[in-house]
Amino acid sequence: MVSSTNPAKQRKGILGALASIAVVIGLYWNLVVAPPDAYQGEVQRIMYLHLPSILTAYLSYFLVFIGSGMYLWKREKKDDLLAHAAAELGVLFTALTIVEGSIWGKPTWGVWWTWDARLTLTAILLLIYAGYLMLRSLIDDEQRAASAAAILGIVGFLDIPLIHMSVYWWRTLHQPPSILRPDKKPWENVHPSMLTALAISFAGFLLLYFYLLSLRYRVGEMRQEIKALRLERGL
Amino acid sequence: MTLLRQTHLLLFKDLLIELRRRDSLLTMFFFGTLLLFVFHFAFDLPPDKIAELAPALLWLAFLFTGTLGLAQLFLAERDNHCLGALLLSPLDRGALFLAKTAFNFILMFLVELVVIPLFWILFNLSAWNLLPQLFLVTLLGTVGFCVLGTITAAITLRARARELLLPLVLFPLMIPVILATIRCMESILRTGDMVEAMPWLRLLIGFDVIFLTIGVLIFDSVIES
Amino acid sequence: MGSWGFVWLAYGIVCGALVLYWWLLKRRYRDAEAELNRLRSLEAAGSHDKR
Repeated sequence: MVSSTNPAKQRKGILGALASIAVVIGLYWNLVVAPPDAYQGEVQRIMYLHLPSILTAYLSYFLVFIGSGMYLWKREKKDDLLAHAAAELGVLFTALTIVEGSIWGKPTWGVWWTWDARLTLTAILLLIYAGYLMLRSLIDDEQRAASAAAILGIVGFLDIPLIHMSVYWWRTLHQPPSILRPDKKPWENVHPSMLTALAISFAGFLLLYFYLLSLRYRVGEMRQEIKALRLERGL
Repeated sequence: MTLLRQTHLLLFKDLLIELRRRDSLLTMFFFGTLLLFVFHFAFDLPPDKIAELAPALLWLAFLFTGTLGLAQLFLAERDNHCLGALLLSPLDRGALFLAKTAFNFILMFLVELVVIPLFWILFNLSAWNLLPQLFLVTLLGTVGFCVLGTITAAITLRARARELLLPLVLFPLMIPVILATIRCMESILRTGDMVEAMPWLRLLIGFDVIFLTIGVLIFDSVIES
Repeated sequence: MGSWGFVWLAYGIVCGALVLYWWLLKRRYRDAEAELNRLRSLEAAGSHDKR
């Protein structure tokens, strides 16, 4: 049986439990303890989701970059598994960020979508890494898929600063006066309770992320082994 | 054999093939011109409005034309199973990358050389004196396109739905180039010189240099037999 | 929609999506584990036969 993974499974279980606790505390703090914003009211609470979401996505993409680089260097399967798992989670959290940003935008700016720098950037990120996942799924050969994806993982990540610059310049050099956009970060005159909420939220997101990542990684690992076993037996 | 010499040889080979049959060049040229016609019907605007849109329309046309060219880039190698032979020979993969990039660049350069003046004529634009500057910016953008395009073409080579996947992967990565090139050209048209456009120009050049370098270093891993 | 409406919408979608993803992941995990066990026991049985 698969008993050799029991310590690993236990670790995952503990991680999952910790994540759940942090999430619950976070929810309570975000929704109850933290006071509403002076300008934006209750809607500002969405920031406790939005900020950790995008930061987690960036962390994920960094892991894709590391995994891709290591894979191209050492050609060890585990690095490719990490890259793939991180890419999938990255897409998930990026999509969530966009949805949160959109919902936050409606009461704040009056529209569900604006082409402001942040939302646009997040959308581009989503496109790049959704493309990564598509690339992987459309190449049949395992090894080729891994190599191709690794290249994209590196090129995509290195492109991000350039995309940042170009989109921000574009959006700030030609600001039409009719568009109102709260450019200032929402932490001026910040109540300490808000910072705590943000911190707890971030902790919860991170724990949850690593929990999901460990699960997804293991799934990838198992699939590798299944493929190998099937090949051996000529199935 | 040095990198440069290898690149020369590979490039020469591709150019020679293209010179004889001119498949890619003619198709790209025809397609680019065709798009201009379509744009004219699609954007039924007075000349001054068109002047504002000119950089964007031109670049849309080049994006799609270039994608066409990319689809053909490794076609010969794939169809005739030359890729295996190329890989067995002791050639630096970086040279292959540079050669393919340069080849596509030359094709696009030739197309742009004709299409831009054609665009100016068809849409009754003035400001002919600014064409050299605009052309320079276009070339810089084209370099960026060819560099990323070659990498993307190589990694999607063995994928199903390859023709659809290539633009899907390429275009988001191209956004800095698209933004920089079009804003640059708009600025030149508006102010008459490149002063205001300098930041965009620097971004463009930076982009080209960065990914040219990465391409050379990384192309080893891209092609597997 | 009132202020709280947007908050609930956002939190609801995020929690819902994460729970859904986690549930689907768990399912993939279980299926993979089952298949792996199956193949491994076949492997063990096969090697016993060879002896």
